[in-house]
Amino acid sequence: MEFDQIWQNVLGEIELQVSKPNYVTWLKNSRLLDKQEGVALISLPNSFAKEWVENKYQKLILNSLRGLDETTKRVQFTVHNKPTTLNTPKKTRELAAANLKTQLSFEELKVDPETNLNPRYTLGSFVVGKTNELAYAAASAVVEEIGRKYNPLFIYGGVGLGKTHLIQGIGNEIKKKYENNVRVKYVSSEKFTNDVIYGIRNKRMEDMKEKYRNVDVLIIDDIQFIGGKPSTEEEFFHTFNSLYENNKQIIISSDRPPKFIPTLEERLRSRFEGGMIADMAWPDYELRFAILKTKLQEKGVSLPENILEFIANKIQRNLRELEGVLNRVLFYQYTKKEVSLKMVEEIVNETVQQPTKNINPVQLIKIVADYFQILPTELIGRCRQKNVVEPRQIAMYLLRDILGLSYPDIGQRLGKRDHTTAIYAYRKLSEEINKNQDLNQKIIAIKDLIYKE
Amino acid sequence: MILVVLKNNLKDGLSAIERASSENNNLPILKNVLIKTFNNKIQLSATNLELAITKFVSGKIVEEGSITVPLSTLLTITNNINNEKINLEVENNTLKFKTDNYEAVIQGLPEEEFPIIPKIENTNNYLQIGSEIFKDSLLKVINAVQPSEIRPEIGGVLLDFQITNLKLVGTDSFRLAEKTINESNFKCTFQRGFKIIIPLKTAQELLRIITDGEVNLFIDPNQILIKNNDLELISRLIDGVYPDYEQIIPKDFKTETIIEKEHLVSAVKLVSTFSGKVNEIKIKVGDSKKNLEFYSANQYIGENKYLVPAKIKGEAFETSFNWRYLMDGLKNFNSKELVFGVNGDNRPSILKNSTDSSYFYILMPTKNY
Repeated sequence: MEFDQIWQNVLGEIELQVSKPNYVTWLKNSRLLDKQEGVALISLPNSFAKEWVENKYQKLILNSLRGLDETTKRVQFTVHNKPTTLNTPKKTRELAAANLKTQLSFEELKVDPETNLNPRYTLGSFVVGKTNELAYAAASAVVEEIGRKYNPLFIYGGVGLGKTHLIQGIGNEIKKKYENNVRVKYVSSEKFTNDVIYGIRNKRMEDMKEKYRNVDVLIIDDIQFIGGKPSTEEEFFHTFNSLYENNKQIIISSDRPPKFIPTLEERLRSRFEGGMIADMAWPDYELRFAILKTKLQEKGVSLPENILEFIANKIQRNLRELEGVLNRVLFYQYTKKEVSLKMVEEIVNETVQQPTKNINPVQLIKIVADYFQILPTELIGRCRQKNVVEPRQIAMYLLRDILGLSYPDIGQRLGKRDHTTAIYAYRKLSEEINKNQDLNQKIIAIKDLIYKE
Repeated sequence: MILVVLKNNLKDGLSAIERASSENNNLPILKNVLIKTFNNKIQLSATNLELAITKFVSGKIVEEGSITVPLSTLLTITNNINNEKINLEVENNTLKFKTDNYEAVIQGLPEEEFPIIPKIENTNNYLQIGSEIFKDSLLKVINAVQPSEIRPEIGGVLLDFQITNLKLVGTDSFRLAEKTINESNFKCTFQRGFKIIIPLKTAQELLRIITDGEVNLFIDPNQILIKNNDLELISRLIDGVYPDYEQIIPKDFKTETIIEKEHLVSAVKLVSTFSGKVNEIKIKVGDSKKNLEFYSANQYIGENKYLVPAKIKGEAFETSFNWRYLMDGLKNFNSKELVFGVNGDNRPSILKNSTDSSYFYILMPTKNY
C-alpha cells in the first residue's frame, strides 16, 4: 500500500513533465514493487516500456523519488506482466458461443491451469446421503478451518462414488470463500508422477518443488497409484512433510484405506493415518434417487417418477454409470419425444452388462459359498440355519440376476427345491436390497468377485 | 545519412518488416520505419510494442546516420519506381528519395523518438533449427489456434522444449494439434527444459518472413528473439500457464478406422456442400463395417451422403463434426493413409499418421441433439 502511494506521487510529478501520449504509452501499468537500501525496483508491463523508461525517464524518476525520500540512490527496472483482469470480452465470448452452440469443447481445458480445479465440481452440487455424510461433514469442516481441524483429510471409497467431486468441491469452495487469498492446488497422482518425471528429465525439479510446496491447500487424488514408484513417493513424502510442518491443509483420496494400499511405504501410511479418515460407501437407494433428482434439476428437465425409481433401483454400484444412463434416457426423450419403461430397461441392461467371462452356475455357487466361508455342499444341502439360509437366498438371487436361469432350474440346482422357493428368494432380495445397506454391500462384493473370475 | 541502395533490397527489407508497424493514436511514430546505418549495413526496423522486426539489407553507405519515416509511403514509392538504384539522404528530419528521374521528400522524425528495441540478455544459449522444419511444424499447429481474450494462455503456440525433443502445440479448446521435433533436427545449448507461449501474431509473422537456412531462438523470461539470416524478430511471450493438455490426448479409441487421405478429403469437401451455417457433417460406420458414411442435410437445400471404403475395427459409431475443423486437420497430413480414431459422440477423436507418430490432430465432435 505504501509503495503504491509513493508511486502515485511520483507519477503525478512525471505526468507534468512528459507529453500525454508518452505518459500513457510508457508509464501506464507501471508499479513500484520494492524499495530498500536506497534501491527502488519498478515494474513495467513489457520490455519496450522497460527500455524506453530506463533510457529516457530514469533521471526524472530518480529525482522525483529523492524528493520524497532522500535516501534513494538508484532505480532498477523489471518487466512484470501483471495478469490483467479481463472484463471486457464478454461480448466476443457470447458471439463465439452463439456460433458454436453445437460444438463441444475439451472438458479438460475448462480446468483452471493455476489450481487444476474443474469449476464444475462444487460442494453445493454434492448430494449428501447416509453413506457419504461423514466425508461431507469432514470436507465442510476443512473449508472452515483450513489446516487446523482435520489434517490430512483422507477420503476413500470405490470407483464413481464422488470422491473427486467432493475433494475438488472443497478446493473450489475454499477459493470462493477466501477469494483467492488461499492458494489451492489439485493434482491427480498420475499428474504428480508425470511432473516428477518431467522435472527429472528436464532438470526442472526445483520448479516442481516450488509448485507443490508453495500452496496452502494441496489436494491429491487417487493416491494409491503412487505406491511402488519410489522417486514419486519420495518426492511426495517431502512435499507432504514440508506442507504439514507449516500447517498447510492436505487432502487425499484413495480407493481404499491407507492400511490396504500394499505398495505404500510405512512412513507415508502412518502419516495418512494421523489425520481424519472418512469413507464413502456405495450409495443407498435414497441417495441414488436424490442424485437423479438433482441432475434433472441441473439440466432443467423432468422424467416420470417410475422411470427414476427404476434407474435408481437397477444401477447400484457406480454414480458415473447412473449419470450415463440418465443422459442416454434424456437423449432418447429428446429425439423420440417419449420414454417408456421398456426402453429404459434396455438402456440399463446395456450399461450394466458386464464383460462376463462365461461363468457357469456351479462356479457361481462356489463363489457365494467361499464368500460366506461355507461349503458348496452346505449351500445345496437341507440345513436351515440362518448362516446358510441367507447365502442360499443370495445364490438364488444371483443365479437369476446374472445368469437369468429359470426358477425351476435354480431350485433344482440348490438342493432340488421347489421353484416357488426360488421365486420367493429372488423377490425378497430384490426388495430388500434397497432397504438393507448391509445386504447390498455383500451382493456388490460378491458380484465383484464373479466378474473378476 | 547518405545511402545508395538497390530497389529490390529495399523492397524486400520493407516488406519483411511491414506488418510489425502499426497505427497507434498515442504513439503515431509506430507507423514509421527506422532506417539506420549499422556495421556497414542498412538496418530497417518496425515495431508495434508487442513485437519488433529488424532486417539488415546491403547497400553503399556514404555517410552514417538515421531517420524514421512512414513505412507505407516509403514502401509504395519503392514498389512503383522503375529504376534500379535509389539514393537516400537525410536532411533536417526529412528523407530525400532520389532516382535518375524521380525525387521525393518525405517528412520524418528523428530516431530518438522511436521506441528502443529491447535486447535479449541471455544470448549464450540458443536453439538452432532448420527453417524448413521449423516453418513446417509451426504451420501444422497454427490453424488450431484462435486469439482468445478470455483465455490468453491458449491464444498462442506452445513451445515445449524437453531437451531431447521440442513440441509445438496449438489449441482453441475445440481441437488441438501437436508436432514433435526430434533432437536430431536441432542444435541446442540449453541445459534445461522450458515452456514458452508465442503470441499467435508473432507465429504468423514468423511463417511469413522466415527464409531458407536456419533459425536461431534465444529466450528471456519475457521475450523471445528469433534470428534468420539478416532478419531479427523479437517478441513478448504470453504470460500464463499453458493448460495441461496431455490429459486430453485419447489413449485408445472405441473405433479405429484406416482410410485414404484423399478419400477423406474429397468426402468432406463433397458432403459439406449441404451442411449449411453450422458446418455440421455426420460420419457413421456403414452396415457392412467396410465403409464410412458421410452425411449432411439442410432443410433449405436438401441432403446428401457419400460412402468411403475404410478398414474399421471396434464399435460402430455415429458422430457429427464441424467439417471446417476436420479439414483444417486433414490439410496438415501428407501421407497416403490416415488413422481416424473415434471415441463416440462426446469424447475427442484423433487424426494421425499410422507410421509417423510425430504429429496428431485431435478434435471434439459437435452435439448431435
